[in-house]
Amino acid sequence: MSFFKRKIELEPPAPSAPGVAVSVQGLSKRFGDFVAVDGVSFEVGAGEIFGFLGPNGSGKTTTIRMLCGTIAPSGGGARVLGLDVAGDAEAVRARIGYMSQKFSLFEDLTVDENLRFYGGVYGLDGERFAARREYILKMADLVGREGELARNLSVGWKQRLALGCAIIHEPELVFLDEPTSGVDPLARKDFWELLYELAASGVTLFVTTHYMDEAANCSRLAFIYRGDIIAIGTPEDIRVREMHDEIFEVESSDVDAILTALEADEDVQEVYLSGALLHVNMGSGGNAAERLDAAIVRADLPGTSATSIEPSIEDVFVHLVTRERSERGVI
Amino acid sequence: MNLRRIGLLMWKEVLQLSRDKMMLPLIFLMPVMQLIMFGYVVGADVTNIRTVIVDQDHTVMSRDITEAFSASGYFKIVDRLDSEDDVQPAIDEGTAMVAVLLPPGMERDIASGEQVPLEVIVDGSDSKTASVASGYAAQVVASYERERLTALGAVPDGPGIDARVRVLFNPSLRSVNAMIPGLVAMILMLSVSAIMSQAVVRERERGTLEQLFVTPIGRAEYVIGKVVPYVGIAIIQTLSVMVVGVLWFQVPFYGTAWIMALGLLLFLFTGIGQGLIISMISNTRHQAQQTTMFILIPTMVLSGFIFPIESMPAAIQPLTYFIPMRYILVIARSNAMKGAGMSALWPQFVAMAVFAIVVFGFGISRFRKQLAD
Repeated sequence: MSFFKRKIELEPPAPSAPGVAVSVQGLSKRFGDFVAVDGVSFEVGAGEIFGFLGPNGSGKTTTIRMLCGTIAPSGGGARVLGLDVAGDAEAVRARIGYMSQKFSLFEDLTVDENLRFYGGVYGLDGERFAARREYILKMADLVGREGELARNLSVGWKQRLALGCAIIHEPELVFLDEPTSGVDPLARKDFWELLYELAASGVTLFVTTHYMDEAANCSRLAFIYRGDIIAIGTPEDIRVREMHDEIFEVESSDVDAILTALEADEDVQEVYLSGALLHVNMGSGGNAAERLDAAIVRADLPGTSATSIEPSIEDVFVHLVTRERSERGVI
Repeated sequence: MNLRRIGLLMWKEVLQLSRDKMMLPLIFLMPVMQLIMFGYVVGADVTNIRTVIVDQDHTVMSRDITEAFSASGYFKIVDRLDSEDDVQPAIDEGTAMVAVLLPPGMERDIASGEQVPLEVIVDGSDSKTASVASGYAAQVVASYERERLTALGAVPDGPGIDARVRVLFNPSLRSVNAMIPGLVAMILMLSVSAIMSQAVVRERERGTLEQLFVTPIGRAEYVIGKVVPYVGIAIIQTLSVMVVGVLWFQVPFYGTAWIMALGLLLFLFTGIGQGLIISMISNTRHQAQQTTMFILIPTMVLSGFIFPIESMPAAIQPLTYFIPMRYILVIARSNAMKGAGMSALWPQFVAMAVFAIVVFGFGISRFRKQLAD
């Protein structure tokens, strides 16, 4: 229906190279005066598990929604599986899968009805649907529970059923927006096993997460901050390239007190909680261990010890965000 | 446009509806409740008005007049009092709304050719009943007087003015006859706007709307898949209201089916547009409900559904032209009760068409745009 067609004024993006699943070219999105995504460019290779990281409100979801063709870019463009997302949104949507953090199942339909609905929407015929249905029920560990309402499933099963619905048509590329939020650690681990299996079968995965341990599972990462990509590469690349600072893990009988004391100390670059422990960034100025010991002495809190550690992805992330904030003059 | 996807959306909608423990009773109870409310309560005609008689004459004539009141069906004699002084307490206590005073010596005075005052006291605290009761009382007395004179072989055929009001189209003045066609329009509006907007907002709350739009489902397909089931429900509801109206409440239908159907169809589009607009400006189902109420109250009050537009203050009357319900009420009532056709109803049809195009068009275009952002 022409009534529903969107007017397209943007130049189509350049064709993507072979082996590239997603090619983002100067993509931006404005909502009124607010710039949600500010001219980002990057590529995702076919078969990658691409991790898209950033604090809340940094533009992750907006980027994904543009790549899925549900919202129109304000500038630039992108090719997904070689198709222009602005001009060919419908064709893009037929070939990708999408799973959001809400799991977006029809809660008042049964497991089987959810599968039938999505199978039908993607145009699966009887035989192929039967095969895919069986595969997904097995994958999601829902064999024998086909007649249960989705509402009554516990969160881990809901999550796997949502993944099943998103991949029922065997898409070449799946977008997963915080697919593990609100799920317990064990279920998260199981879910990542499923993602590895999918990736091993050649499917490209584009995953956003705010769990830093999950970021380390990705084959490549991009950090987005306030609508800009601030670092991109394999986890190892990013660590080596972006992180020259020395990181310590600090254990203390009074974590709150030492956190407050070190935050106030001018010789300490960054200090933040990581689980029950503190991570301290002493910068790259050398003599880091001695300087930290001196800071701890100044804090005058007995029962505090520091150990030098390899920076994790989380440390890199905190470092990058802190650096961006101070460069942009944002608190 | 893919028919299979539209079919799936409809299938899913009906399944969801059939499992919704809140919505389903609402859909089926609402018309029943409204029928009872408007058929029996609001539209009920004034009958059995509690009446006391103060007969101080105790003659054949005073008994005949008492009998005439009682036999009219409008008045129910609840007590006979001896003194006029007892009337005030009876009205104060609410045991009576009307008192009829038959003065002593009434029969004798009339026989001797005098003018005798017959006093009717009416409790004005319920203005509608009071005005109806006084009208009926005057009618009862007038018809008694006419019979008496006829029996005496006096005046009736002689010169003089005799006002006889003839009510066209609804001779018994049953309000239910006007209520049922209005109710049909009201239920149609509620089904497609109130219930549909709830369904869309629920979908957005749960994130399934977002999920649907990353599938090949197009926006037009979504709107059709969403609207059609509710239109179906609205049609079932209106038909059942009509059937109950005709069979149970004995509402006569003198209209033309296609004129009625065309009017309701135009109104339906307005309702759908309104539902889409409500679902866009509401983030939660609670908000959608509030917005529906916000629209519903002026619709019920200003459309003429309950209160006649003619009796509204002159300053308010122009506002009623902005209420789409106003026009469908005229169409439904005039068509059902008088058999009015296009030659009489075309201005209403033009207004309905304008509303349908503007509200539906605005709803659809904004809905499309919002989904795109």
